[in-house]
Amino acid sequence: MSRRSRLLLLGVAAAVVLSPLARDPRDDTYPLSTYPMFAADRGAVHSIPTVVEVLGDGVTVRLSPESIAGTDEPVLTAVTVRTAVRDGRAGALCDEVVARLGVGRRARVQTERHDVIALIADDALPLAVEIHAECVGA
Amino acid sequence: MREMTRYGVLRVLVAAYVAVWSAVRAPAVLDTLDFADRRFDPVGPLAFLDHPLPGPLLMAAVVVTPIAAAVLASGRREKLAGPTAAVGFLVVTTYRSSWGQLFHTENLVALHLVVIAAVPFLSGRGRAAGDDDRSWAVDTMAVLTVATYFVAGVAKLRISGWAWLDGDVLRHQIAFDNARKEVLGDTASPFAGWVLQQGWLLAPAAIMTMVVELAAPLALLRGRTAALWCGTAWLFHLSILVFMAILFPYHLLGIALAPLLPVERLGGTVAGWTGRFRPASTRSVPTG
Repeated sequence: MSRRSRLLLLGVAAAVVLSPLARDPRDDTYPLSTYPMFAADRGAVHSIPTVVEVLGDGVTVRLSPESIAGTDEPVLTAVTVRTAVRDGRAGALCDEVVARLGVGRRARVQTERHDVIALIADDALPLAVEIHAECVGA
Repeated sequence: MREMTRYGVLRVLVAAYVAVWSAVRAPAVLDTLDFADRRFDPVGPLAFLDHPLPGPLLMAAVVVTPIAAAVLASGRREKLAGPTAAVGFLVVTTYRSSWGQLFHTENLVALHLVVIAAVPFLSGRGRAAGDDDRSWAVDTMAVLTVATYFVAGVAKLRISGWAWLDGDVLRHQIAFDNARKEVLGDTASPFAGWVLQQGWLLAPAAIMTMVVELAAPLALLRGRTAALWCGTAWLFHLSILVFMAILFPYHLLGIALAPLLPVERLGGTVAGWTGRFRPASTRSVPTG
């Protein structure tokens, strides 16, 4: 390959990978990413929708991403629950979860408001919990 | 033992990684067959789709990709195996990112693989042309590596400005990511609580992160500069794993950084691995 062809290829490769710089950094895609994932200041207080299991004595326990959304990816699980709550389909999501858990198991779709630093550094309890749906596996 | 050039070693490392990743993550990709259609949000090369892929087509991509990548790693049928592996991997990974979450761990793998797939079509033929004529691919892969880091650094400046360097953004990112894992029943980092309590550590960590990303193009100078940058970038990914429980396997295994390093020194070892999978008649024979 000639030196000119080689330089041309390098230029094209650089231009392709740097092309996301011409987009809004939040306008992400694959595989030519703007890599915005750690860029924004998210703040310390967050509302995180999730699904928990409710035991007979009323105690709640965490479910795995597999049980909640049928995947081992936590971010995909978060998107799934958030979208369901936002679109008013928390009940349908709850039914899907108990279908995975089994007959007689009780689940609850809820949004927990946390100071995330306090949660991780000090195991703090949620600031608030909003319940969207509750259901039992039939 | 047959000596391997830097390109030869890179081809084996990247293709082998793709083969293993595609096989290991196949169940997660096939999980999408059970997802409700309304969750489908296609991106990138698959953005034109209105509906999820038909099951048999997805299964074909999931099965063919690791096989093609393994053949590519062995150095056989590059003109068929390379494009098949590249297209298959691009389809599978894009599809995986088309359900509401964009993954950022396979971007560079896909780009490197596209370069390797193009090599037999853009380089000279035969042993005379050899791997020396393929060194353009090594340079191109190196440019792709450093450019991705640079884009990530610029994104931080464009979104948060220089305030990103004070450590608060990083602190909130570490806390949020681990909290989300905990609330959704996944495994959070056992070290996250400790690092969040070390407030003094986060500003220097943020500055180092920005230096690694924005100074990435300096690694194209090769030599000690490249080695120093690669070492720092590797520590950066190790820190992400330790404090955020986020694994960038392609980077932590060093394959993402390999185009910048004298990996041809691994040639004997890699040739030994690939030799095990060649017919006995083509293996090197001890003499004397």
